[in-house]
Amino acid sequence: MKILIADDSRVMRQIVTRTLRQAGFGGHELVEACDGQELFDATVKEKPDLVLSDWNMPAMTGIEVLRALRANGVQVPFGFVTSEVTTSMRDEAEATGALFLIAKPFTADMFRDSLDPILG
Amino acid sequence: MSISTGPTSEDLRVIAEEVWASYLDPEGIRPLLLDYSPDEKLDGSDGEVSAAVSVTGAWRGHVVVACTSAASKHAAAALLGIGLDDVGGDDVADALGELANVIGGNVKSLLPEPSALSLPHVVIAGPSSGSRWPAVTELCRLSATWYDEPIVVSVLESTSREGASAA
Repeated sequence: MKILIADDSRVMRQIVTRTLRQAGFGGHELVEACDGQELFDATVKEKPDLVLSDWNMPAMTGIEVLRALRANGVQVPFGFVTSEVTTSMRDEAEATGALFLIAKPFTADMFRDSLDPILG
Repeated sequence: MSISTGPTSEDLRVIAEEVWASYLDPEGIRPLLLDYSPDEKLDGSDGEVSAAVSVTGAWRGHVVVACTSAASKHAAAALLGIGLDDVGGDDVADALGELANVIGGNVKSLLPEPSALSLPHVVIAGPSSGSRWPAVTELCRLSATWYDEPIVVSVLESTSREGASAA
């Protein structure tokens, strides 16, 4: 499967990649995006099987990208990996079609719990 | 607007320990030491690195992570999983910015909603407090040591309407 990792921090993209491996999802093809616009473009072009996106990014936020994707009929499974998780964000993410929010700092167990139903 | 509760130094300790356990010291070999911090090494000199995220909305202020250059290189090496000698300037800025983002995001969850978190601002070789934050009061602070180098996390509440966008 192809997983698209979007975060404006290269450090965080690397940590997400490492955590995927630690969680037992190391065999998948990984693609990266470093801002919201790049995430939107890469999702349309690469057609990933799963998107793991930061919330707060330059150009477009993660939730804006998700809205734009759904408005364009792209139904890719989409989850957030974000440092801020509030009730209103969870509600907004769920209403827009996100499958999960993983809070930073995260562990491999948290990745396993959220991703097993999709990648397992 | 002032808030009457949280975040506190204890909240910062819990958040920082989670960040260290997840990213900076997952093996438990180099924990963040909380009992002692030679704060005087963080005097705004050339050897200092700081990263901040700003919160605007129902609460306005900044969450600042400041440390010595040496500590920032250790952080970048640990986060990227590379050797200390391979750490470049961009790595340091990215690593400290992401630390501020993660800690700031968790602090924001303790603050009144609605509010928004900015992208991180990183200053290498510059002051982390004082003149850089002219219209704030310090709400709480965590002073710690890592690799024998000081690391300070502070939550600064804006005291004026204009102060919220001073970052």
